[in-house]
Amino acid sequence: MVGPPQTSFGAPQRRSHLLSSGRGAVAVSTASTIVVLAAFAALFFLAPGSAAVRHTFFNPEYMWKSLIGDPRAGYYSVGEALWLNIRMFLAAEVLILILALVIAVVRQSDSPVMFPLRIVSTIYVDVFRGVPLILVIFAIGFGVPALNLTFVSTQSAPVYGVAALVLSYSAYVSEVYRAGLNSVHQSQVAAARSLGLSHTASLRYVILPQAVRNIIPPLLNDFISLQKDTALVGILGAIEANKAAEIFSDTVFNYSSYVVAAILFLILTIPLARFTDHLIARDRRRRLAGAPS
Amino acid sequence: MHRIMIIAAALALGAGLAACGSTTSGSGSGSASTGASSAATTASCSNASIQKDLYAKGTLTVATDKPAYPPWFSSNDPANGKGYESAVAYAVAAQLGFKKSQVTWAYEPFNDSYAPGPKKFDFDINEVSVTAARAQAVTFSTSYYDVDQALVALKGTPIVTKHAPSDLKGYVFGDQIGTTSLAFINSQIQPTQTPKVYESLNDVKQGLQTHQIAALVADTPTAQYISSSEIKNSVLVGQFPSSGEHFGLLFRKGDPLVGCVDKALATLHHNGTLAALQKKYLQVYLSVPLLKP
Repeated sequence: MVGPPQTSFGAPQRRSHLLSSGRGAVAVSTASTIVVLAAFAALFFLAPGSAAVRHTFFNPEYMWKSLIGDPRAGYYSVGEALWLNIRMFLAAEVLILILALVIAVVRQSDSPVMFPLRIVSTIYVDVFRGVPLILVIFAIGFGVPALNLTFVSTQSAPVYGVAALVLSYSAYVSEVYRAGLNSVHQSQVAAARSLGLSHTASLRYVILPQAVRNIIPPLLNDFISLQKDTALVGILGAIEANKAAEIFSDTVFNYSSYVVAAILFLILTIPLARFTDHLIARDRRRRLAGAPS
Repeated sequence: MHRIMIIAAALALGAGLAACGSTTSGSGSGSASTGASSAATTASCSNASIQKDLYAKGTLTVATDKPAYPPWFSSNDPANGKGYESAVAYAVAAQLGFKKSQVTWAYEPFNDSYAPGPKKFDFDINEVSVTAARAQAVTFSTSYYDVDQALVALKGTPIVTKHAPSDLKGYVFGDQIGTTSLAFINSQIQPTQTPKVYESLNDVKQGLQTHQIAALVADTPTAQYISSSEIKNSVLVGQFPSSGEHFGLLFRKGDPLVGCVDKALATLHHNGTLAALQKKYLQVYLSVPLLKP
């Protein structure tokens, strides 16, 4: 995997200059990092309330208890509850990708027949990007069951939560898609149509593949955000990781469970962040392949 | 002076934690808190002598959450002296030599009330159940109300008529986060489906009205108030036998003021004030059918 650095600027001699001055810089940056970390550690351990904070937030015994859970003592396993976050995330992700694409394509269309749909999708995006997600979850989770409909009103809290996440995130993601569609040059459409491809076929085989390739990093960015926002569904009474942590802390008056939840969410999101980096680097290598360095 | 008190509080907390560190699940907490209170009870409890222990000199600062629910408070206004907890707070204040005008009310969300560090109140009165685990983080007064758990359901739903111990296991229950009702549900009822845990009592009520839950579990006075005054088509199914649970006033860990407040509560208990206030504000809640868990 080790190849020449993929910097887009500078001639080879400039690059070697950067490298040689970098060796001295490494020593300085290492030293300054140690000093800064030591200062933070000193601040943390020497603060008057340090013992209390460490006991309240970083108590290993409580962290373990909250990870394992004990329903009879009044709290649930934060680790087990995370599984609900993962399931909600996966379900929402698929639905968002589909709904957002439909909205983006509708908004990008220029056919007069589509005018009413364009208006509707524009209003949709405006509304759901503007209303805080937590309010959307509240409105769906408590409003839809109150309608007393036969099938729609009898779903579980996570289902309403996923519906709210899909509504809100599709508005954002449709804008990402639209940016991707706009990034494909108009001449590509013209070329596709002149080859005899229909409007739909040129969209499917020429425009979308190029558009999606451009927007994979911002898409994954939104999905990292979505992973964390599944925690908001807890307000509907569903016991997801954050809710389980809150129940634990309210039961034994100790916040260590929140640290456990934070660590679990980190474990969940960091691989996706690294995967995003990997995709960006791979895409860059492919596009620059064969280009003079 | 204030700074010294903070450091002293932190040291006391640290000492308390050290004392608890070696013991498992809360058995050491009792000795830590009684140690603090017995030191205070030997001192005089005149208004002048407790001034040094107050959050703000000259006033007794009492905290509770928002909204403040009936029948514990009235009209969401703790300062009107109506509702059981408001009345108890003013009765305690009178015992300690404060006039009604010398009582200040502070807003303290339940989740924040047990945070480490200095508190912004002298005591918090918010239907907080005393448990050994919680007493590791804060100091509690003696009981000002012995509380039982009760079930509220909508009229005509199956649980109203079918609530034998084996039937109860099949329902979905709901409660407010931070209450001991969840531990009660899981240890006493042991339902097969995970209960729903809502952020506020209003959300639990909404969950009940929209059939998200079959019944809500709350302390008996709250349950009675909901079924008699708040949700028209609801009924109090019954209350469970006492599990020895009681409400206590919440103090900063090791707060010396608790000794004098305990004395005041003992006086109010012996002279019949607490019983009279319970009769006045919670009287309608006395004839409740008993359930078997």
